[in-house]
Amino acid sequence: MKFVETLKLALAAIWAHKLRSALTLLGMIIGVMAFVVVVSLIQGFNVYVDEKIAGIGTKSFTIQRFNPFEDFKDTDTIAAAQRRNKDLTLDDYEYLLQRTTLIGKLGAKARGTPAEVKRDTNVLEDVFVSGATANTADIENRDIAEGRFFSQAENDAASKVAYIGADVSNKIFPAGNPIGSEITIRGLPYRVVGVEAPKGTVFGIPQDTFIVIPLKTYANNFGGLVRQRSLFFIATARVDNQFADAVDESRFLMRVRRKLGVGEKDNFGIVTPDAITGLRDRIFGSIFIVAMLVPGIALIVGAIVIMNIMLVSVTERTKEIGIRKSLGARKMDILKQFLVEAVTLATIGGAIGIILAWLIGRVVTAIFFPTYLSLFAILGALAASGGAGTLSGLFPAWKAARLDPIEALRAD
Amino acid sequence: MSDVTLATLPTEERTSANGNGRPEVVSLIAMRDIWKTYEMGSEKVHALHGVSFEVRKGEYIAITGPSGSGKSTLMNLIGCLDTPSQGEYWLNGKNVSEMDDDELARIRNQEVGFVFQTFNLLARATALHNVELPLIYGGIGSAKRHEMAKQALAAVDLADRVTHRPNELSGGQRQRVAIARALVNHPSILLADEPTGALDTHTSQEIMDLFERLHEEGNTVVLVTHEPDIAARAHRIISIRDGQIEKDQVVR
Repeated sequence: MKFVETLKLALAAIWAHKLRSALTLLGMIIGVMAFVVVVSLIQGFNVYVDEKIAGIGTKSFTIQRFNPFEDFKDTDTIAAAQRRNKDLTLDDYEYLLQRTTLIGKLGAKARGTPAEVKRDTNVLEDVFVSGATANTADIENRDIAEGRFFSQAENDAASKVAYIGADVSNKIFPAGNPIGSEITIRGLPYRVVGVEAPKGTVFGIPQDTFIVIPLKTYANNFGGLVRQRSLFFIATARVDNQFADAVDESRFLMRVRRKLGVGEKDNFGIVTPDAITGLRDRIFGSIFIVAMLVPGIALIVGAIVIMNIMLVSVTERTKEIGIRKSLGARKMDILKQFLVEAVTLATIGGAIGIILAWLIGRVVTAIFFPTYLSLFAILGALAASGGAGTLSGLFPAWKAARLDPIEALRAD
Repeated sequence: MSDVTLATLPTEERTSANGNGRPEVVSLIAMRDIWKTYEMGSEKVHALHGVSFEVRKGEYIAITGPSGSGKSTLMNLIGCLDTPSQGEYWLNGKNVSEMDDDELARIRNQEVGFVFQTFNLLARATALHNVELPLIYGGIGSAKRHEMAKQALAAVDLADRVTHRPNELSGGQRQRVAIARALVNHPSILLADEPTGALDTHTSQEIMDLFERLHEEGNTVVLVTHEPDIAARAHRIISIRDGQIEKDQVVR
């Protein structure tokens, strides 16, 4: 018997019991859906993190007060780090700038402060205002929509110029054309020089309500560069393949500057993209395994339900099997018929699960954060459901195939 | 390879160069000393003991006997649904008694056309699909299959009922679909088990007329029945009692 005939037969049998088939597939659908949703959430997050890192520049690293991977393990290490580590200063920045041979670009940034922004009657509260050197625009690959980032000269002169996020631009300048206009930040007037392209929201948090002003201006008008305004540096390697050397050199220079002896811990932190992706992979590796348990169990339950229904079906259709055997169906024909039916049933469940997961993914992407439905997830889900169908169909199909034709014909 | 050449010869012309166990006159059905024994717990029940007979091509025979006589067992053996515990069964020149399950399935598909008391049609399938079933297992492509099945339905005067399902047909029509299904593969025997058992007298006559016509057209018909007036329409009657042939007589 040809495979096409067997497949047609399977589809007809599934269609003949629509409601039963649908109920049978519930477990399979939920299992596959959960699998695909989890995978697309995690992959979406990974893609997001990768893009962010690419945004910062995959070839950049930061030097800051704390090393989050070393210092934030528990309350003791946090307390120790707080005692040991000191804020970075602009003098540190100058020191590195003068002595480094391997760093390509070295930028300095201050963490931000929420501030009120005004223009005429338009007021925007809690705009995240931070300071940066001019070269950070290059290092961070800023996507400039209008105008320009401020210049080195403007930073050196502590000019009151501002580079604003898309959201700020839209709300303060509803009529558009913000470049060259004046806005008031914390009561002081600034001239807008550039607007960044909109980035949307991530995890429900808008990414476009920010203002960057020159670091010197920030230090003058927002208070000393300590605590929440603490300074950190971002750097790129002069030559791509000497990235690790550039990191090592920075660490060495900082240790010399901080007069640390051999065996003393760093009292500053250096964060590389590798460390971030490494941490992400560690966290999501364990989340992935735990999260796979739910779809895994649902898939097993789904497979058992299919096996159960196939056993019922074989019993119900004993007469049919007898008729087919009397007309010349061989064991293999009957085995194939029921096996293909189970696999087809399971794969239909898998396909429905994938479609539902895709819809959920679209909703999540629209409301919360990006998801990514990969070919790997689709093929994995189809393979898993098909495999589950094969396993669950094998025993019932074998039972059907070895029925004695005389006994089977006698069944009602 | 002598099997092949013999099988292709007309039955009447076949004679064997004895010594290889083949019956001297090669008949369509040759049963030699057939025993069928069932083990019921520790007891052995002989459903058939020592049954021998031959059927030539084109014969119309009835196998009769009271219930429990062993005629159902004999029918299952003739139809290759079962194999004998002892003895030889040659069907159309092939030794069926030594075949395995898959070979038997092939023989059922090619050599035997079953007609059952309760029709045994697939309820969800159309008349056409029911008739196509043996062709599907015979590996015949769909276009040729449709053609053959339509011809078989036309042969039993059901050309206008091709797309009907069994529940849309009368008892007589259902049995005619079953007969079309039995004939579609051009089997060497048409094996009917109480074919009128579920039909009223008038319809029974119609079905028996159909069997007679099929016989006249050259088919070999083996009818299993316990009804004397049905058996009387055959040309030869084999009576079974207690697992043995009681009488084997040519009646016309």
